[in-house]
Amino acid sequence: MLETVAQAVINGLLIGGIYALVSIGVTLIFGVVKIVNFAQGEFVMIGMYLSFWLTTQFGIDPVVTLVVTMPVLFVVGVLVQHFLIRRVLGPNDMPQIFLTFALSLLLLNLALMLFSANYRTVHTSYSDQAFHLGGLYIPVAKLIAFVVAMILSGALWVFLHTTDLGKAMRAASQNRDVATLMGINPNRVFCVALGIALALAGAAGSLLMPFYSAYPFVGQVFVLMAFVAVVLGTLGNVVGALIASLMMGIAESLGIQYVGADSGQIVVFAMLLLTLAFKPNGLGGGRVR
Amino acid sequence: VDKASRWSVAAVAALAVVVLILPLVVKSSFAIDIFIRILLFSFIGVAWNLMGGYAKQLSLGHAAYFGLGAYTSTILQIDFGISPWIGMVAGGVVAMLASLPIGWLCFRLRGPYFTIATIATAQALMLIFLKFRDFAWGAEGTTIPNLGNAPLMMQFEAKSAYYYIALGLLAIGLVITWLIERSWMGYYLVAIGEDEDAAEAIGVNAPSMKRNIYMISAFLTALAGTFYIQYIYFIDPPTAFNFNISIEAALVAIVGGIGTLWGPVIGTILLETASTLLQSWLGSSIGGLQLTVYALILMAVILWRPTGLMGMIGEFYQRHAGRERGAVT
Repeated sequence: MLETVAQAVINGLLIGGIYALVSIGVTLIFGVVKIVNFAQGEFVMIGMYLSFWLTTQFGIDPVVTLVVTMPVLFVVGVLVQHFLIRRVLGPNDMPQIFLTFALSLLLLNLALMLFSANYRTVHTSYSDQAFHLGGLYIPVAKLIAFVVAMILSGALWVFLHTTDLGKAMRAASQNRDVATLMGINPNRVFCVALGIALALAGAAGSLLMPFYSAYPFVGQVFVLMAFVAVVLGTLGNVVGALIASLMMGIAESLGIQYVGADSGQIVVFAMLLLTLAFKPNGLGGGRVR
Repeated sequence: VDKASRWSVAAVAALAVVVLILPLVVKSSFAIDIFIRILLFSFIGVAWNLMGGYAKQLSLGHAAYFGLGAYTSTILQIDFGISPWIGMVAGGVVAMLASLPIGWLCFRLRGPYFTIATIATAQALMLIFLKFRDFAWGAEGTTIPNLGNAPLMMQFEAKSAYYYIALGLLAIGLVITWLIERSWMGYYLVAIGEDEDAAEAIGVNAPSMKRNIYMISAFLTALAGTFYIQYIYFIDPPTAFNFNISIEAALVAIVGGIGTLWGPVIGTILLETASTLLQSWLGSSIGGLQLTVYALILMAVILWRPTGLMGMIGEFYQRHAGRERGAVT
């Protein structure tokens, strides 16, 4: 009994690391640029297809493709900010919501046209391997994904707290007008924020590939989870999003264990609705917008 | 009555004559099918626009009410033998009541997070209908018993009958929008859409206004759900609560002109025509093509014409009128 719970918690925690990469990206963009990127999940999808392509074409290990997917998606993020999002920043919500929503719709359906709805999987030497700790079972691929995700999250925290650019981003997230007065160039900061967020999505794509299939709709699974985690962890709060993502992973895993195999999504929605009903400002309190 | 409004009355009357005789002239069932789609999605867009366009509460979860309307009338028809005409209104009432708790939850968030909350509630409803199979046929869904020509049960041999029902729904939606546009409620809604805090500061009861318009919008969307299921004779959760319905409701209104009376209609005509033409040019339907085109049109509108086609028409009209006036003086 206790072992089953422990196993479910471990499974949830490991996948929660991936959720964290996605939701940290969403919350970073929301905090700094004040928009919600509806297309974040589609960039995970792009990361997965890119990783799949590199693995099958050049025989690179999917986890190692991170060194390609992260920089490529960083550049994509900068371009998306500079050529698309920059043009709709203003007091009006409609263009911001529907621009990134349209981008999500576009990327998803382009993927459907180009790659068809088929599932693409990569089989690595460690895809089926696992550590056994007592009666517990820890899949290697998921453990690697979790560890790398935590290292990247930690690196982002260090970047935000120690570098000038990181501090500028935090300043812009706290008060954009004052930050601009202090000589911070908002568009440059926004470009970096989008770049980092998309690079994290790309990393999530690479890390997922050894144990998850790539298909056009795959981003939707992660983005919904990320949106809930971002509300739960208080909008714009990077550490909050990280903790909330791990909690969501565990909650989903316990739901699958005790409610039913396909009830993961129900758990997510239940958590979102409960959060909205009782803690609309997130577990840490604070103000919404 | 001034000259401009006399012209617009004449234009609407001419349009009414054209759409009324259209099925008598066009006999192709393929064409009638497209007309019905255009009327239906215009109507859904009109329903969305009341809340999304005027009050700027940008929902992407209207499939929830479409599905509730569809399921209410179908359950009443199959389990209790009640006519879908009554079921349609009952579905509207169910949707209206459902919008109260859903609104209570979602209106706690503003802007993009309101949008996400509406997506989540619609998806959650779909999951409920998928999971609890004793409740309403579960994932398999059910076909609507075909009774042949039974007008009292909303079943017709002639496709044109469905055309006139869809036309009637759209007319109801447009009249309601027209009435609201001219009432105090319309002004309050626009004020909330412009700046909710400022509207509240001058005494607009924003929570109650948003609740009321959400109820009206949900009611109308549910009518469309009943009609659609009666038209295709089949219901299952992915059809009734299809996310694409939520998307298209918002899309047609934004592309046509958000917060305008005719915007959703013009937007639907453009989008449906574009997708039909593309599909006939490229032969068989390619998965993802329609939504790729919709996404590109939506991005173009947002980046270059946030006021949509109605905004373009307005600018054109003004330029034209300005030149005329310039010629006189």
